[in-house]
Amino acid sequence: MTQDAKVRVATVWLSGCSGCHMSFLDQDERLIDLAKKITLVYSPIADVKEFPENVDVTLIEGAVANEEQLAMLKKVRSRTKVLISLGDCAVTGNVTALRNSWHHSDQAILERAYKDPADLNAAIPTAVPKLLIKAHPLHEMIKVDFYIPGCPPSADLINYVLVELLAGRTPMMEGRSKYG
Amino acid sequence: MVKPNNEKKITISPITRIEGHAQVTILLNDDDSVKEALFKVVDFRGFEKFTEGRPFYEMPSITSRACGICPVSHLLASAKACDAIVGLSPPKTAEMLRRLMHMGQLIQSHALNFFHLSSPDLLLGLDSDPAQRNIFGLIEKQPELAMRGIKLRKFGQELIEKIAGKRIHSSDWIMPGGAKWPLTKERADYLSANLPEALDSTQKTLEMYKNMLGGFEEEVENFGNFPSYYMGLVTGDGGLEHYDGTLRIIDKNGKVVAECVDPTKYSEFIGEAVEPWSFMKFPYFKAVGYPEGAYRVGPLARLNVASHCETPLANEELKQFKKMGKNGVVQSTFHYHYARLIETLFCIETAKNLLEDPEILSEHVTSKALVNRYEGVGVAEAPRGTLIHHYKVDPQGLITWNNMIIATEHNNIAYNMAVTQVAKKYVKAKTLQEGMLNRVEAVIRAFDPCLSCATHAIGNMPLDVRLVDADGKLVDRKVR
Amino acid sequence: MSTNGVKLKIDGVEVAVPEGTTILKAAKDNGIIIPTLCNLEGLTAYGGCRLCLVEVSGTPKLFPACTTPVAPGMEIITASDKLKEYRKMVIQMLLAERTHICSACVANDHCELQAMANQLGVDHVMFERNWSKDDIDLSHDFLAIDRNRCILCTRCIRVCDQIEGVHTLDLKLRGKDTEVIMDLDERWANSCSCTSCRKCAKVCPVGAIYIEGEPIGHTKRKDIAEFILARRNRK
Repeated sequence: MTQDAKVRVATVWLSGCSGCHMSFLDQDERLIDLAKKITLVYSPIADVKEFPENVDVTLIEGAVANEEQLAMLKKVRSRTKVLISLGDCAVTGNVTALRNSWHHSDQAILERAYKDPADLNAAIPTAVPKLLIKAHPLHEMIKVDFYIPGCPPSADLINYVLVELLAGRTPMMEGRSKYG
Repeated sequence: MVKPNNEKKITISPITRIEGHAQVTILLNDDDSVKEALFKVVDFRGFEKFTEGRPFYEMPSITSRACGICPVSHLLASAKACDAIVGLSPPKTAEMLRRLMHMGQLIQSHALNFFHLSSPDLLLGLDSDPAQRNIFGLIEKQPELAMRGIKLRKFGQELIEKIAGKRIHSSDWIMPGGAKWPLTKERADYLSANLPEALDSTQKTLEMYKNMLGGFEEEVENFGNFPSYYMGLVTGDGGLEHYDGTLRIIDKNGKVVAECVDPTKYSEFIGEAVEPWSFMKFPYFKAVGYPEGAYRVGPLARLNVASHCETPLANEELKQFKKMGKNGVVQSTFHYHYARLIETLFCIETAKNLLEDPEILSEHVTSKALVNRYEGVGVAEAPRGTLIHHYKVDPQGLITWNNMIIATEHNNIAYNMAVTQVAKKYVKAKTLQEGMLNRVEAVIRAFDPCLSCATHAIGNMPLDVRLVDADGKLVDRKVR
Repeated sequence: MSTNGVKLKIDGVEVAVPEGTTILKAAKDNGIIIPTLCNLEGLTAYGGCRLCLVEVSGTPKLFPACTTPVAPGMEIITASDKLKEYRKMVIQMLLAERTHICSACVANDHCELQAMANQLGVDHVMFERNWSKDDIDLSHDFLAIDRNRCILCTRCIRVCDQIEGVHTLDLKLRGKDTEVIMDLDERWANSCSCTSCRKCAKVCPVGAIYIEGEPIGHTKRKDIAEFILARRNRK
């Protein structure tokens, strides 16, 4: 990350609630300062459709819960220098992973949603991404460089991590690792 | 609606500048004209299953995580369902604070949609460079407006934060039968001090938008402009309402066709259908059937359903708004944007009234009770429409069954009609341009979908399942 | 026995304490706080959580400070990179063993496990999580137990036995199947010995045992054992 060029930043959301992205936006006026230092090259709140190459920093929120998301995650990892798990769903699985307490939780949740009650010849949607058996935190699937816990992590914490990284420093997470 | 079957297609994936995961598949005829467009929702988490076995008082915390933009809506619907299970109505101040928090939520969510998500289209242009067509592009090109949006959203978020301790997922504060702590005078004063700026911002934006409307005649005409039913909560005398009240459904001419005085009886009026190509189900008005019984919810619907607003400034705006439609019913989806701004005004006025009421500072906010009923339903108007939480518990209070009907879900048939309409008008497959596809997305943004919410949970409502073959012919049908 | 008969070094500082003092107390009396979870003033030491492990020069073995008495000439290190890594691993193992979802927990923001993870900078868990689905017992009028959050610190068992004196709670099974039970594995409402004194809820460090309908910040009281002992022994 050179100091002169704008840093190429991306954000991605997987199986989460978008609360971490909202917390990102909760930086309020600090977004104006951020806008001077970064270019948002891919994000659900921006219109680029294909994840680009040579991304400096990617923030990912949400657990990885279906095959399409897993493929996306791997693609992001291969095109990003610094990958950050943003928020408890990405870091621990959190509420999205509550289904993991059931065996074959992918079947369990689909059955309850689409086949229950049993007297109806209901159909589980088929032309949709296949669910993974469990919902996983990101580092169980790919290498993660930094973690920002919280549900959601506060805007102050997100701002701290970004500011440190942009300045070339390593964020210190002792006392900044509160889940929930 | 047809089943996709190897037709030529154009896929827009992902839809950006909305909340959640969705794609649009545009199906083409042999001559490359648009046959139909499908709005596909592609994520699913399974809340109704994994909440089974949890103590009912954890439901606000868990369901809050269905959505990070409208967690307060879930907190409130969930708390109301829990109130029903303990068999208590909260102390007056707790209700006032919950309502005030709800106003904060509506303000911040509407500001988010208008400024952060939709205004890049409206202000930078539907055909403008995609790389710049986002909040950061807005900050660069229209800094004063971007700042106004950021501050308005901040006001809504701070309203939530000062009451409940946290901006997003503030589940620690709410509890069955009330809330855990009162509002301090210091915090109330802080909010009151910031309110005039928020009011001014909203009025300025509303004026600006009304002046711009003339330039959007084509969009008004073609972005999801079709008649439908509308549903929303209203007060006892038909006024705009978001927290309590009666659920009302009107037809395209404004006639009241259903009045659900007890919102817990929702399943008498609304049914759901399933299509194999989307995780989101398709609610419809039962008296008419599927898919003719398509109805819309959310700001546009609420303003159509309500006869007036109880606050003066918003009421004036509502009167002007209703003039655009026959019998006061406005049908174009594009006007969700306009409706959203009027609602924001209403919420700020309501927040002002609540903050000025001395009872808002009373310390009596908690109740103490445990399981007294084994079933509870909570209904609230989320920013995007009617939200229903329905729980059943065992005698210990552990959830045995959970059903959540989400605002965005109700609009599902309308989504598909809208994207089809826009695709047919603008998408020329032979000379495809990015701006054409952006318009398909823009009509979705007008609805302001919240798909994380919508794919939490699929309700256990009466289902109408149709099996169609490759030609779209009905092969089998089961109705529960 | 002389009052400060044992001389030793803790983190390079010479200290003198009475014979029989644990390393944990010796450190605390000299201003050094060693992290703990299962330890509670007023109860016997358990040595179960392994968070208080310290280095003692002359041996590669680590010693739990809460149960190890001082010895003359001991040289103890209470904080080092190695100990920090081990402590973080302890927390990670606790988080992986059962189902810990802070955001949806009644003890969120009032939890010693959560606070310790935060203090140590445990920003993720390297072990694959177990996602247990253990029994939740809400049968009692107001005391609740969610075993998915239990870290088997046994504070509840010790306070019930040593302070209330009725020994309602104990453990069953072993290893990862170990669970806290009431009497001979009864539903709490059917326990014949429980006096509903709520001390178990007051000392639980996490959201496993709590009082329904009561904000957990009001329930928890870490000094309850110490307080009762002091009152009991007053002249």
